[in-house]
Amino acid sequence: MAIKIAVLVGSWFHMSALGFRYVAAAACIAFGLVVLESVAGPAEVAQIKSRQDKLRDMGGALKAINDELKKRRIDWDNTVVPNAQTIKDRSGYLLNWFPRGSGPESGVKTYALPAIWQNNDDFVTLGKLAQVEAAKLNQVALSKDANALKAQVEAMGKACKACHDGYRSPDSEKEDEN
Amino acid sequence: MTSTESRMDAALAGTAELRVWDLPVRIMHWSLVIGIGICWWTGLHNELEYHLYSGYAILWIVLMRLYWGLVGSSTARFVNFVRGPKAILDYASTLHRRDTPHTHGHNALGAISIVLMMGLVLAVVILGLFAVDVDGLHSGPLSGYVTFKQGRHLAHLHYYWFTILLWVIALHLAAVIFYFIYKRKNLIGPMISGKRRGDVGDTEMKIAPLWRLAIGAVVATAIVWAVSIGFYF
Ligand code: HEC
Ligand code: HEM
Repeated sequence: MAIKIAVLVGSWFHMSALGFRYVAAAACIAFGLVVLESVAGPAEVAQIKSRQDKLRDMGGALKAINDELKKRRIDWDNTVVPNAQTIKDRSGYLLNWFPRGSGPESGVKTYALPAIWQNNDDFVTLGKLAQVEAAKLNQVALSKDANALKAQVEAMGKACKACHDGYRSPDSEKEDEN
Repeated sequence: MTSTESRMDAALAGTAELRVWDLPVRIMHWSLVIGIGICWWTGLHNELEYHLYSGYAILWIVLMRLYWGLVGSSTARFVNFVRGPKAILDYASTLHRRDTPHTHGHNALGAISIVLMMGLVLAVVILGLFAVDVDGLHSGPLSGYVTFKQGRHLAHLHYYWFTILLWVIALHLAAVIFYFIYKRKNLIGPMISGKRRGDVGDTEMKIAPLWRLAIGAVVATAIVWAVSIGFYF
């Protein structure tokens, strides 16, 4: 699409024979268009959608464990262990889901804030802290100790919150997810 | 005696301090104001631990107010102020006049905003009970009965209906200001002191006994407690 525009724009300037400078300018504009389109290209849309899906899986997994605590009837083997595993696996990849360019500037609806790429070291630190808590959650799930689970679910949630508070726009600005 | 005082005396002749709002109504009103403010702030700042506590407090107050609307003092009771469409239109048609008599208790239009506000607060609270938080840390106590997706949807509706509630509250405040500036009637003072100046011989408020309030408090506390543990006894 952008290539076609580039060719069109380029040949229009060429035909009007306005000289090399205009052709060069047109080439620059065309290049800009190509870059712009590549930012919001289908790959980025898919990436942002898929990371939101995976984050929702993580949220669902943490909720499932929380629900067991609420019900005070904990099904370790069928609920706690597999969901703790999901959180651990997913949080291991989490930091790969935020390549530069996948923020709001992509034009895709995302609640990822530009601060992720401005304070990237801090973002990465928070991501790694969450990985540590997720690994602990996994161990506690295998230990089947209800009190330890309660404490670790809270620690896990705090690690998620710490990152969301700084790097995700508040829910009040969020549209309903479909 | 100064001339201002004598003019005041003349104006006040034939009037008396009438009791209009009993203590429970006033306390419930102002604690709702504070509670909604706290819920608003803690909700927007993701301080959900405190948000849940203030939310439970609001649930408790609303339950108490509904109960008091059935068995409380005369001006608190719904049967005494909720009117039909004709009475509302009649009242609305006198709104531009400054010489209308003061309604003892809520007027017909004010009653609409009370019912709307109560309904909306209750709706917001119920949605909050089922809301799922992104952090998975402090979801509503009843969120175990819905899926993650449904709970996120309800969290969104919780916020949406809260913004509608804010508009109705704004309307309520605008009406109070209108009465103060245009109709020269101070509605805020009576909601603090419980009394207003009125003509001698106006009907007085019938006060309900406090033991009745105590019964409601026990029941409301039991309900809020059961909700807070998600009915998982
Ligand atoms: C290092 C930062 C970081 C950590 C740690 C983190 N998240 Fe997130 N999370 C984000 C960002 C950024 C977004 C917004 C993504 C977007 O909208 O594109 C997000 C979004 C979400 C969403 C909403 C997805 C949607 O759009 O519906 C959920 C649910 C979620 N995270 C759950 C979790 C859970 C549960 C944990 C902890 C186990 C966690 N996150 C840990 C950064 C993080
Ligand atoms: C009148 C009372 C209440 C008001 C005014 C209120 C207001 C709010 C506001 C403004 C938010 C932020 C919205 C957002 O960021 O999406 C919020 C979120 C939330 N509220 Fe309430 N709330 C009330 C009662 C409750 C109650 C009773 C509960 C449950 C016990 C509750 C549970 C929640 C939850 C779990 C969230 C987080 C949702 C999320 O993370 O998206 N609320 N509330």
